[in-house]
Amino acid sequence: MSPEMLAYPFLFIAIFFESFVLVTLLSKPARAARARTAGTETPSVAIVVPCYNEAATVAGTCETLLALEYPKDRLEIILVDDGSTDATPSAMACFADNPQVRIIRKENGGKHTALNAAIATTGAEIIGCLDADSFVEPNALREIIPCFADPKVAAVTAAMSVHRPKNLLQHMQNAEYIFGITLRHVFASVNGLYVTPGPFSFYRHSTLKEIGDFRHGHQTEDMEMALRIQQKGYKIENAPYARVYTKAPETVFKLVKQRTRWTTGFFRNILGEYRGLVGNRAHGVLGMLVLPSALIAVGSGILIFSMMVFDLVRNTVTALEIRAGIPMSYTLLPHSSIDWFYLPVSVYVLLGASTLLASLSLIVAGKRISKTPGNLALGLISYTFLYGLIAPLWLLRATADVTFGKRRTWR
Amino acid sequence: MSLVTRNVLIALFITAALTGTVAYAVNYLNNARITELGAIEDQLSIDTLSLDTQFSLLEAAPCDTAASSTAFIGKLADLGTRLSYAESQLGIDNPQVIRLKQQYSLLEIRDYLITKQLAEACGTKPVTVLYFYSNAGDCADCDKAGYALSYLHDTYPSLRVYSFDYNLDLGALKTFIAINKVKNTLPAFVVNGKKSYGFTSLEELEKQFPKGALATTTSKL
Repeated sequence: MSPEMLAYPFLFIAIFFESFVLVTLLSKPARAARARTAGTETPSVAIVVPCYNEAATVAGTCETLLALEYPKDRLEIILVDDGSTDATPSAMACFADNPQVRIIRKENGGKHTALNAAIATTGAEIIGCLDADSFVEPNALREIIPCFADPKVAAVTAAMSVHRPKNLLQHMQNAEYIFGITLRHVFASVNGLYVTPGPFSFYRHSTLKEIGDFRHGHQTEDMEMALRIQQKGYKIENAPYARVYTKAPETVFKLVKQRTRWTTGFFRNILGEYRGLVGNRAHGVLGMLVLPSALIAVGSGILIFSMMVFDLVRNTVTALEIRAGIPMSYTLLPHSSIDWFYLPVSVYVLLGASTLLASLSLIVAGKRISKTPGNLALGLISYTFLYGLIAPLWLLRATADVTFGKRRTWR
Repeated sequence: MSLVTRNVLIALFITAALTGTVAYAVNYLNNARITELGAIEDQLSIDTLSLDTQFSLLEAAPCDTAASSTAFIGKLADLGTRLSYAESQLGIDNPQVIRLKQQYSLLEIRDYLITKQLAEACGTKPVTVLYFYSNAGDCADCDKAGYALSYLHDTYPSLRVYSFDYNLDLGALKTFIAINKVKNTLPAFVVNGKKSYGFTSLEELEKQFPKGALATTTSKL
């Protein structure tokens, strides 16, 4: 059996997954979500900004929150300094006189403790969270609120993309985030979300009181909270027009570190306390499709990357052996003519290309659905050529960490 | 039927349809490759027969036909490259590939014999290489030898290289191997009738050629 044969089941699953996303995108619930308009309801809202050494960005984040189109007497902003050691306190102090802003200072205890400290001090009906390196559009909150119309909805997520991507790596992440917009929009329509990201997710306060505070959640408190919401039988919605922009890691090292944290958090939550959700028919799409697919995606990412590396090494060694002793001027020049006959087409290549093409289409769809501004061309190019090479690095690292029980620091 | 169940069924249908279409497209392309190879072989058969006939017709001045033979060996080499690619795509056990290889080997033998006849009639000294390989996994150095010969052929276009799968089930080839007394120690080379076995380096292979042959082969034909 050729190594390619091993990849066929994964390619089949990937195509099935993307087909399901596409079909559900065109189905009635997703269409209804897209047709939903910004509401006039104005429940009291508190948005918590947990900060640890965010001096460079917290002021900008707070400014965009103050610019939200929402009655000022119904919106409270709580900046929580989680024991920062940089100039975060002085950056926060600039807003001390603003009646909408409240500042809390506490000893460093982790993001979840910062969130809990703020939630404990507010009586707002809706609690929002915004990472201190993220920025929101003025209409974002008005897009979020109507999603809480259904009393079973406990949380609402936004449409997240990268704030001013500069290098190729950030453009790649921007494309990936916009892919996430499509996925979140689609899976929210069938209650299949398992993470409420730090940038601009909102919670019904009464539900939080019922199900409990944020937890450490293996350094992924947002995922743990979302899984707990699902476990308790509530829904997680998505507001595709509520745009939020977040800073993305600018180096491969930082990106791999961030994603290793996310992936180990996913593994430890899913294989630990929330194992019961996986394959559970009672949890519908989340249990039967989304969580199993996410687990399979990690396995297939590692397998296909390993195959690529194996093939590359084997072919390079063979090529070097075969070409030994032949002048370089000959070996470096292509010798086969350009002819359809030599098209390197196989079932493996075509199925892989179909999967990639579907992914790119869903990224474009995400941009159109959310009306996210900016040029996506660089994002699509870098996603096509870089993502498959970089993502396996964090998948492998996270898998090794979970296997050997290694714990890493947040930063 | 719930919305999710319906969507799952539609997605499964799309996946199956796409996979089926891809499999069909690849199969179609492979068949087109086989057809293309067949067409080239047909053309070469006509060329061979034409050359043969010309040779018979112009017995008094057979050397006039030599002009076309360099172009012919180029076509033959191109067919060999395509056949090798088709073999890598379709597998060495593919019956159509085996049939095409048999036809190709016959063409090679035929051209080799005509070349010999022309050389005798015209007094030329072409350098011919008979190269015997195996792709049954029992010849570790065959890939290296094949690449070295490709290099020599590309560098000296008039060098006449004939490659044969030693294990091909073809009566004419078996007879050809028996006449040339080529042992099953591969890779094997017969350079202008002189046999050698194994491949170590390009340098060693070049030593098997007649002195000065590689430098002057282009001008000889």
